[in-house]
Amino acid sequence: MSAAGDVPDGRPDRAARPDRTARRAARLVRWYPRAWRARYGEEFTELLLADIRERPRSAARTLDVARGGAVARLAGAGLCGFGVRDAAAPDVGGHVRASLSSLGCCLAVFLAFGAALSSQLTIGWQWSPTASTQAAIATVVTSAMMLALLALGCAAAVPVLCSVAVRAVGSRGRGLAVPSAVLIAATSVLIIGGRHFGNGWPGTGGHHGLVPAGLSAFEWATSLSVSAYWAHPGALAAFPAAELAWMAVSPLALAAAVTAAATLVRRTELPPRLLVFEARLGAVACAAMAVFLGGCSCWVATGGQRSLFHAGLIDVVAVAVMALALAVAQQAARTARLGLRLGPGLGGN
Amino acid sequence: MPKEPQERNAGAGEARDGEQPLAGFGRYAGPATLIMASLADGTKHGYVLTKDIESFAGVRISPGTLYEALARLESQGLIEAVESDDRRRPYRLTAAGAVALRAHLDAQRRVADVGLRRLAGNWGTA
Repeated sequence: MSAAGDVPDGRPDRAARPDRTARRAARLVRWYPRAWRARYGEEFTELLLADIRERPRSAARTLDVARGGAVARLAGAGLCGFGVRDAAAPDVGGHVRASLSSLGCCLAVFLAFGAALSSQLTIGWQWSPTASTQAAIATVVTSAMMLALLALGCAAAVPVLCSVAVRAVGSRGRGLAVPSAVLIAATSVLIIGGRHFGNGWPGTGGHHGLVPAGLSAFEWATSLSVSAYWAHPGALAAFPAAELAWMAVSPLALAAAVTAAATLVRRTELPPRLLVFEARLGAVACAAMAVFLGGCSCWVATGGQRSLFHAGLIDVVAVAVMALALAVAQQAARTARLGLRLGPGLGGN
Repeated sequence: MPKEPQERNAGAGEARDGEQPLAGFGRYAGPATLIMASLADGTKHGYVLTKDIESFAGVRISPGTLYEALARLESQGLIEAVESDDRRRPYRLTAAGAVALRAHLDAQRRVADVGLRRLAGNWGTA
C-alpha cells in the first residue's frame, strides 16, 4: 500500500506534500459519479497521487480527468460507452436499460413541450382553420405524431410494467415498491388534474376540430406550465389560484412520474428480447420525434400568423428544448443499439 | 510471455467475422490497444501501465483516459482486475482480450505492410 506523499522516483517535492497532494487527488476524483468511484476510486486516486508527484502542475491532467468524469457520468446515464461493470456480474443489460431510461426521459420532455405546441395549434383549429400553409402542416403533422408517440409510449410501457409487476409480486421486487407507488400517484395527479382543468376551460368550444376537443383540452391542461406568462408576473397574478397551483404542480408531477419510471426500468431485469424490442421502439420514436420537430419548426420559423396561430418566443424556446431532447434521445438509442450488439448474451443484432 | 491465457470470460468480446475487434471503442481504440499490448506480458496496475506504455510507445496516457479505456476493456471482458490487497489494483488480459488484441494487431500489421510496400515501390527505401 502506498501512502499519500510517497514519491515514485524518491525526489522530494514541495508541491507534493502528502495532505495537499491527497486533497488535490480527492478533488479530481469527485469529477466521477459515485458508482464509478466505488469501483475505481481507490486505484484511480493512487494513480493520481503518483501523477501529481511527477507533474505537480498540469492543466492537461485536470482537463483529462474532468472530461473522463463527464464521460463516466454520461456512460452512467446510458448515453455513451459502457457503464461500470460489477466485477462479479457483467451487467451489459443494465447499461442498455440505462440508455432506454434516458431515452424515455427525453421522450417525456419532448412530449411535455410538444403538447404545449400541439395544443396551441389544435385549439386554434377548433375555432378557425388556419390560412397559413405552415401552420396547417404543423397542426396535421404534430397531431399525427403526438398520437404515434403516445401509442409507442404505451407499447413500450406495457411489457415493462408487466415485468415490474411480476417481479414486484415475486421475491425479486425489492426496491420497486416506492418508485411504483410514486409512478402511480404522479400519473394519477397528471391525469386527474389534466382532466379537471381541461374540462373547465372553454377554449375548445369551437366547431372545426382536427382532433377531438377533449384531447386538445387535455394536452393544453397538462402542458399549462409551458407558458410565456412566467415572464409576466403581473399577468400571472391575475390567474385563479387553483390554476397557478396546477402550473406549479403539474411539471413536478411529470418529473416525479418520469423519474420513477426510469428508476423502475433501471432496477428491473428485462429479458434480452424485450430490450431489443424496446430499443427498436426507441428508434421509431426518435424518427417520429424528428418528424414532429420538423412540423413545428416550419411553423415557428415563419412565425405562423396573427392571433390564433401566432408563434411566439415561448414556441421558439419549446422547439429548442425539443431539439435538444431529440439529440439526447438519439444518442441514447445509439448507445442502446451498441450495447445490444456488443453485449454478450443479449442476443441483439 | 505468460502461457496462461485465462479461460474465464472466453467468448466475451471475441472478434466476430468481419467485425473490428475493438468496435465501439471509438477514440479509446488507441489507448485500449496500448493497454492490452502492455498487459500481454503480465499483470500491471495503473501507474506501471502508464510507465510501460510510455517506454515502448513514447506516449504518456493521462489518468482519465487510461481509466476510461480500462473501464471499457473491463466491461467488454477483454481485461480483468486481479484480487489484491494493494490499493493499486492490477489488471490482466483475458483469453478473449488476447484473441481481440491479436486480431487488431494483425489488421494493423496488414495496413503497415501495404503502406511500407507502396512506400518502397514509389519512394525507395531511404
